[in-house]
Amino acid sequence: MKLKPIYTFLALTVVGFLFALANTPKISAYEILEKQSKNTQNSNDDYDKMMDVLTHQRCMNCHPSDDIPKQGDASHPHHFGMARGEDDHGFEATSCNTCHQSQNNLNSGVPGAPHWALAPASMAWEGLTRAQIAERLLDKSMNGNRSHQELIEHMTEDDLVLWAWEPGVDADGEPRTIPPVSKEEFKKAVENWFADGAIIPSK
Amino acid sequence: MASKRSDSKKVSRRKFLVKGGLGTIGVVAIGAYLFRSPIRRQILGVVNSLEAPYLDNIDQPMIWFEVTSDNNILLYSPKMEMGQGTFTGIAQMAAEELSVSMNQIQVVHAASSTGNVDSFATGGSTSISGLWKPLRELSAMLRVMLLKQAALKMNVDVDQLSVEDGLISGNGKTLTYAQAAAGVENWEVPDVPALKDAKDYKYIGQPVARVDLDAKVYGDPIFGMDAEMPDMLYGAVVRPFKIGSTFISADTKAAENMPGVVKIVVENDFVGVVANSMLEAEKAKDAIIVTWNSYDNLNTEAIVKMMTVGNGKSSVIQKNGDSFNDQDKVEILEFRSPIGAHAQIEPNGVVAFVDGDSATIKISTQVVSITRKEVAKRLDLDVENVNVIPTYLGGGFGRRLHTPHAVQAAILSKAVGKPVKYFFSRKEEFEHDMFRPPTHHVIKGKLNAEGYLDGLEHQFVSGDVATDSALVPNALTNFLGADVGAIRGGFIQYTAIPNFKAECWHVELPFATSWWRSLGLLANTFAMESFMDEMALKANKNAVDFRLNQIAAEPIDIRLKNVIKAAAEKANYSEEVKDGRAMGFAASIDANTPCAQVAEVSIVNNEIVVHKVTVAMDPGLAVNPDQIRAQCEGCIIMGMSAVLYEQMFVEDGELTPTIYGPYQMALMKNAPKEIDVVLLQGKDTPGAVGEPPLGPIGAAIANAVRRLTGERLTEMPLKLSKKT
Amino acid sequence: MEISLTVNGVSKTVDIADENTPLLWVVRDTLDLKGTKFGCGKAACGACTLHVDGEAVRSCSYPVKFADGKEVTTIEGLGDRENPHPVQQAWIEEIVPQCGYCQPGFMMATAALLNKVPKPTDEDIDKNIINVCRCGTYYRMRKAIYKAAKLQAEKVINESKEA
Repeated sequence: MKLKPIYTFLALTVVGFLFALANTPKISAYEILEKQSKNTQNSNDDYDKMMDVLTHQRCMNCHPSDDIPKQGDASHPHHFGMARGEDDHGFEATSCNTCHQSQNNLNSGVPGAPHWALAPASMAWEGLTRAQIAERLLDKSMNGNRSHQELIEHMTEDDLVLWAWEPGVDADGEPRTIPPVSKEEFKKAVENWFADGAIIPSK
Repeated sequence: MASKRSDSKKVSRRKFLVKGGLGTIGVVAIGAYLFRSPIRRQILGVVNSLEAPYLDNIDQPMIWFEVTSDNNILLYSPKMEMGQGTFTGIAQMAAEELSVSMNQIQVVHAASSTGNVDSFATGGSTSISGLWKPLRELSAMLRVMLLKQAALKMNVDVDQLSVEDGLISGNGKTLTYAQAAAGVENWEVPDVPALKDAKDYKYIGQPVARVDLDAKVYGDPIFGMDAEMPDMLYGAVVRPFKIGSTFISADTKAAENMPGVVKIVVENDFVGVVANSMLEAEKAKDAIIVTWNSYDNLNTEAIVKMMTVGNGKSSVIQKNGDSFNDQDKVEILEFRSPIGAHAQIEPNGVVAFVDGDSATIKISTQVVSITRKEVAKRLDLDVENVNVIPTYLGGGFGRRLHTPHAVQAAILSKAVGKPVKYFFSRKEEFEHDMFRPPTHHVIKGKLNAEGYLDGLEHQFVSGDVATDSALVPNALTNFLGADVGAIRGGFIQYTAIPNFKAECWHVELPFATSWWRSLGLLANTFAMESFMDEMALKANKNAVDFRLNQIAAEPIDIRLKNVIKAAAEKANYSEEVKDGRAMGFAASIDANTPCAQVAEVSIVNNEIVVHKVTVAMDPGLAVNPDQIRAQCEGCIIMGMSAVLYEQMFVEDGELTPTIYGPYQMALMKNAPKEIDVVLLQGKDTPGAVGEPPLGPIGAAIANAVRRLTGERLTEMPLKLSKKT
Repeated sequence: MEISLTVNGVSKTVDIADENTPLLWVVRDTLDLKGTKFGCGKAACGACTLHVDGEAVRSCSYPVKFADGKEVTTIEGLGDRENPHPVQQAWIEEIVPQCGYCQPGFMMATAALLNKVPKPTDEDIDKNIINVCRCGTYYRMRKAIYKAAKLQAEKVINESKEA
């Protein structure tokens, strides 16, 4: 147990180094990582699971890079020109909450969850690679000054995050698709990944 | 052509019966206009740009007016108010000849029990023009009848009486209309008196506020959706979601025991449910499993292929001079328009009560008479015992020119012995719309040495518009030759061109298509006026001059020239692109109303933005210029919505999308910030207003885009190619 | 479920079997206020827009249970013929409605906008007023929104003078 912080430190150093070298074609980042930690493979699995969820439409649709929320599995721009607005909650009089309430609406097919809103612009993920998303997630200047522990809590306990597994039905009454990893697996993967040092594989 | 007929029609004295009734002291004036002309001429009269006569019921007594005890006039309108402002126009016309103030007239929809049922429909931009003569004559007759009674009661010679605001005065005495009418049993029916001179009009020609304005601003319960009857239940009908489905069987077990369900009704062509609330009816409906026979493999591609010039039956609707021969070097462009939905905001619906051998139907419909007959026939009731009470329409646009859901609600009502309210869901409204048919146009033109057209040919194909509808049965279509709706706007209006031809092809689609505001006009004018613009560019001529020089000299042509000049002048029409903005020009004639438009367009973020539209229109005498402006504004926005955004698809046998948003329509942000309307009066009677301004907008926008980008957009909805 | 709410200033208690029933149907069918319209039932068209605690809400997508203890304002309560709301006054002066079906929703959305943004720009209007009108009255609506803003500002000044 005592060794763990050291591993974490080492891993982070290596990752940092790798990023610095990421554009240097001669060095294979993958090979270097292989040699570093026996936890790496597990960590990578956790990371993959976590990212399978974070990049799923249920999550990604509200982390846009162009301030326009997306809808549906095809992630089309939100109809009627809805956008981020000043405070991530839409516009002054027509806000997210004009239509979206704190629960899914099974009559109208309008999804809902507590504090329904766009993720802040600093947490825009759309169009980013998995590694870039992870970086942004960990970057306190971007993530709302959240520590790892706070990130774990946010990702495993927040109602709006967990809505992804209970997304209700669409306007036709058809259930929305859910992320490819179960909620419990996702929670475990998040906890493990952070516990293993939140290592971002470079590939 | 058939324009003489209306002069010969006057209110017949023998038909002008009078009786008291309707629970108030009052006069009930009853008039009848006979539908004498052969239907072919009547309908072709509408189509060939001549105004429609008022097509009334044949031999039943009709109640037009009621004089109430508080000295107001109730005017029972045989035409429905669906936003087009007809109630306001007819109130102005009646007030004028009755000599009452505007606020003494209250217009209500005539229930079919009043007898004042239009046997045709409310549609085709005919209400004001059709009622112009008969309604003023009836109003004037009622005024004279009231004056005669007043003369007796006041003991003053009728010639010494005058009337203002419903107050009769003479020889120092006064009497209200209500007092004059009170207790009268034997009315003397006069000949039709002389109508007012145009110079004496007090209300006609004035931009008075809509008579339904307050009701619509304060949220009064005036629509079909708001209608109720005591002890009412709610119904729902299972509708197929695939094209061409026919009902085979239904498994209703799961629905039977659901909360609020009163009864499940299985007929040989549909299955419905009656419940205590709309939501419960909807939920039970969703639990019924129906087996349908349907097409599964139909898609948009197949429909487009079907809808190609050369397919189906054709008829030449216009021809002059020679056709093109193989040696001619002709310019050819092809255009397409997609399936369009009506998308009116109030879904179709009805409250029906079948009580023994009679039925009451409250409904927003454009066809009172047809709905009445359909209910009577299916429920085996006397037509006289079916009372259809029309409500205000939350949008018509042609969508309510057939409202057979009244029949289904009546069947549900009969099954439970109580009134049943039944409305479409929005999904059903989209899936079971009677769509604007897709079209395909092949246009050929040949320029002469002077750069004008020597020949012009318009070949186009459409699905059913007027054909195979409740209004125009198929037998009649065969008689008429072409689809009288599809050909609107398909004629060549530049008849100074020596050789021209218009030919309409007709293809049966596997789903219902029908009247969509302006019928064929929107797509036909988009195609024709885009082609004209291209020819003007080819001839290196100003688009306005190019048009003006090829218009003949008939009266309608002169009116067309006048609106073209007026629009160009008002808009300062220029072919230069300035500050990223270009102008596009187009003109059309529909139902004898010429209209020209200039659209100012720019491209922002690869999207077409319409900043300003200038309209010049000659609807003849403007009964209410403000409402005509409103119709121009509305047509332009509805038209640009259809031209820029709207499109239905067919996917695996389903019509889609089924909700606003995915069915993209113009929103506030898309509407032009400036709409400048110039009204001309090229004739002294009112003409069509509610549809003609839909004609030019599509081509006006496309022609502006052509000047901005060099790209000729030939398919609605207009989409810029990526590179621009 | 018993739900107590204030509707247009009047306290009401309604007993609704299904607490998820859209507020729209409770307002229309239980409370018999028909000015709030059903257009799509999917929060897409905005015909059912009303105010809950002053915020614009599309009532077809708002379960009645959430309205418990709250203040609901519908078009009937926005103003009346004797005392029209500035938005209604402006709508009358500009003769906005055609078929009229979507208009209550638009007026409620506009009233909410003017509460938040008393002097809206074209951009504010374009972003916030996203209901659907099929008759195409948008052109007059925009004029009416500017007029309503002016009328509302005058009303505020007059009221403060009286105070």
